Amino acid sequence: MGMRILLGLLLAAGLSLAAGPARAHPHVWITATSELLYAADGTITGVRHAWTFDDMFSAYAVQGLESKTKGAYTREELTPLAQTNVESLKEYAYFTFAKADGKKERFQEPVDYFLDYKDTVLTLHFTLPLKNPVKPRQLVLEVFDRSFFIDFQMAKDNPVKLVGAPAGCQMKLERPNDGTASAQKLNEQTFLNGENSNFGMMFANKIMVDCP
Amino acid sequence: MKSQLSGFALGLLTCAAVLLVVSVADAALHDLLAQNPFGAPRAQQAAEPEASGLIGWLLAKQSEFYRQMSATIRAAKSDGSAVWTLLFISFAYGIFHAAGPGHGKAVIASYLVANRETARRGIALSFASALMQSLVAILIVGISAWILNATAKTMCKAEGAIEIASYALIALFGLRLVWVKGGAFIRALQVAQPVPAMAGVPHDHDHGHDADDHHGHDHDHHHGHSHARHEHGHGHVHDEHCGHSHGPAPSELAGPGGWRRGFAAILAVGIRPCSGAILVLVFALAQGLFWAGIAATLLMGLGTAITVASIAVVAVSAKDIAQRLSARRDGGGALVMRGIEFGAAGLVLLFGVGLLFGYIAAERTTCF
Repeated sequence: MGMRILLGLLLAAGLSLAAGPARAHPHVWITATSELLYAADGTITGVRHAWTFDDMFSAYAVQGLESKTKGAYTREELTPLAQTNVESLKEYAYFTFAKADGKKERFQEPVDYFLDYKDTVLTLHFTLPLKNPVKPRQLVLEVFDRSFFIDFQMAKDNPVKLVGAPAGCQMKLERPNDGTASAQKLNEQTFLNGENSNFGMMFANKIMVDCP
Repeated sequence: MKSQLSGFALGLLTCAAVLLVVSVADAALHDLLAQNPFGAPRAQQAAEPEASGLIGWLLAKQSEFYRQMSATIRAAKSDGSAVWTLLFISFAYGIFHAAGPGHGKAVIASYLVANRETARRGIALSFASALMQSLVAILIVGISAWILNATAKTMCKAEGAIEIASYALIALFGLRLVWVKGGAFIRALQVAQPVPAMAGVPHDHDHGHDADDHHGHDHDHHHGHSHARHEHGHGHVHDEHCGHSHGPAPSELAGPGGWRRGFAAILAVGIRPCSGAILVLVFALAQGLFWAGIAATLLMGLGTAITVASIAVVAVSAKDIAQRLSARRDGGGALVMRGIEFGAAGLVLLFGVGLLFGYIAAERTTCF
């Protein structure tokens, strides 16, 4: 009997070990704007992101890069970095998760990507084409880092644009921590329940588009 | 025989309980630290949808301090007094930051329990490893970014390599502890079974030679004499460090045996710099204020050390309580303590292996 309790305790210890590290906190902040791209027939073909990094990370990212003018970087000078960025983002599924009428959709590798450097911050532009363009009633697009190393915030002004969407499509944005999203109930109960495997989800930006 | 068996079971249970305490201590402590200053009742907090929970508050604080850093470094360019703000922010960030993963709190705590270290040595180890962590960050950025003007990509690769080395070190370190402590545990088991509690002879004969620690070779002569360890019979704790018994004098901490003993732990934990420090340093360098970045990094380390040291003290106290409790048990005492040490050693190994193979997601290195 004692052994069973012992095993239970060990299991608990193991679980708490596994759970602890999920309490990550961000080191990188991204202010994002996203565009949903529609084809003429109203199917969604992809997403175009513009992610602006915080100035600390921007300084880190341009460290050691050659530039003609000190403290300024042209799009060409930043090309190798943009390349590295999009290649690395693959591992994290571009922090972009789409569901068309509840079904997960996948993205192809990014196209049309580049970086620009303005006012000491970097902005990464890239387009994620959907593997299979879809025409759902509802599209849900979430942008977040599961491990919460990166804190994504949608821009204050015009965070989401629907480009070429059929008339009558309605967009709704749920930001993390603004009290509107039910998914973002962040309290210690969540952690005690051990449901923190998707810790970063609580900081997700949820874009919902309903089309007639 | 029956009572002995139940004693054994109790021993194992105590052992598991202490393991649990050690492993959750850090999490709990940070929750405490993060206690809502307004003492709002839990139910109310749970009802609020915003990030008002303890963890949310903790995260918000960390982010707040961290984000203020870049602005403060910028300000320090023209206004010298901003440096003081920077130092304060860095210190506060360090305290909160130790809540993050990958900072070896658990490794240090487990090591302390496994090696029967004192709280004072625990504090010293925490500070030493945090200092090393800061120095590694400063060296990485100083050499690669400042001297070699390497790119972020190169720096990141270096960081990644160091990270793997660090995890491997922790695993190796744990393996060695498991080997040594496992032997001691098995010997204690062998002794505990046939000899029915020589409780009449309160004699702590556990010569704790700890030969590996003092002289650098790898066997732990616990001799398994284990004549019912009984701390109360002695004015001084005989099993701490063979011979020098009256708790560690400061000279002992810094002495050849003292530091060498903990050096493996310091190295394993401290060799991995934290991403936050690297970012701050590179940013400061870009602003032409590398020295401010160095100062901030050192203060961050100090803050981290304070948090880790508190956890170390909790771990050591928990073990001491267990020791006192188990000492009352006839015969079981030595076994319980060897069991706890063995378990703690196992935890270090688990951590190392877990980090190495990515089962435990540590703070990610910024590579993109």
